[in-house]
Amino acid sequence: MTDSRAAKRYAHALFTTAQKYEIVSSVEEDLAGIAHLLEVDARFRGFMLNPSVGREEKIEVAEKLFSDRVTALTMQLFRLLLGKRRESEFEAIREAFVELRREQQSIMHLVVRSAQPLDDAQRKAILDGLAERSGKTFEAEFQVDPHLIGGVQVEYGDYRLDGTLRGALARLREQLRYDLLKQS
Amino acid sequence: MSTPNKGLVSGKIRGSAFLNILVGLPLMVIGMALSRAEPPAFLKALAEQGIPIDLGMVIAVVGVLIMLFPAIASFFIQPLQQAIEARNSELEKAFGSAESLRDEMTQMRADYERRLAQTEAEAREQIQAQVREAQQLRQTLTAEAAAKADQMVARAQEEIEREKHRALTDIRLHVVDLTLKATETLLGENVDDARNRRLVQEFVDKVEVPG
Repeated sequence: MTDSRAAKRYAHALFTTAQKYEIVSSVEEDLAGIAHLLEVDARFRGFMLNPSVGREEKIEVAEKLFSDRVTALTMQLFRLLLGKRRESEFEAIREAFVELRREQQSIMHLVVRSAQPLDDAQRKAILDGLAERSGKTFEAEFQVDPHLIGGVQVEYGDYRLDGTLRGALARLREQLRYDLLKQS
Repeated sequence: MSTPNKGLVSGKIRGSAFLNILVGLPLMVIGMALSRAEPPAFLKALAEQGIPIDLGMVIAVVGVLIMLFPAIASFFIQPLQQAIEARNSELEKAFGSAESLRDEMTQMRADYERRLAQTEAEAREQIQAQVREAQQLRQTLTAEAAAKADQMVARAQEEIEREKHRALTDIRLHVVDLTLKATETLLGENVDDARNRRLVQEFVDKVEVPG
């Protein structure tokens, strides 16, 4: 179970320190790397999140794995979390950190879903088009969802811009249903 | 009625008593004198034949009887007559009472018959009224039942119509769903990379960004 308030406090402290030393992007990359490892490596994840494993043992393994790969600040955070048995908060801290960085840079996060993988030109065209029309800077997360059949769907904030065939069919279905029910 | 008769009889008796004495006393004296005198030949002959008759004594007894008749009438006949009259009077009273009772009974019977007839008439009238009321109630109930039945039929028809309409709508919606599912399948099979690129480009060209 994660404590979002604690995670935000850790993230805020980490972000402030990273800003101070101008290593925000490096720390974010470190956090993403560790989070990726926790996600893909079940043994590493099991070891780190196992409460029966002692904190010193975890810190020792973490030192061996990351000390020469991540910044000292990231390592210090990881060590602190392991020492306070807050390792389960790591993903939440990373998300809060990224959120703080976007807020600080006035960047809006959006999710782009498409039925087929988009190449770089398509991604750029989408982001440029959105930036041009909204006057904002976007940071996109691209996902592939074959269920959409074709086209692309963009989500940011409370908005969803739907240019998929699935969405078009759904709108058509709703319109037809509306017309039929209106007739009756 | 008996009192005037009684007075009349007493008067008659008193009137005749004097006459009886006038007649009876001489007869008694003459009879006594004849009884003491020598009997006539035929009486002697009868006495000899064993039938002794004293004619003077007979006349004297007759005279005594005539003189005593008013007293007999006064002490014997008059009370008897009064008793008879009283009896007659009682009988008349009894008959009168019986007659009165009979009249009363007749009157009561007439009253009873009249009341009976009146009661019968009232009962008949009430029965008629009840029958009329029952008929009216029957008509009202029949009319209400008919109206309710009509209403139910109308409601059932409306319900049938509504259900029919709903079923048709459901079928149409189902057809829409099936058609769109088929369309989805066809689109899924026919959207290639080029078409997908065109869709992405259309999105980029036409997208409107809120907020």
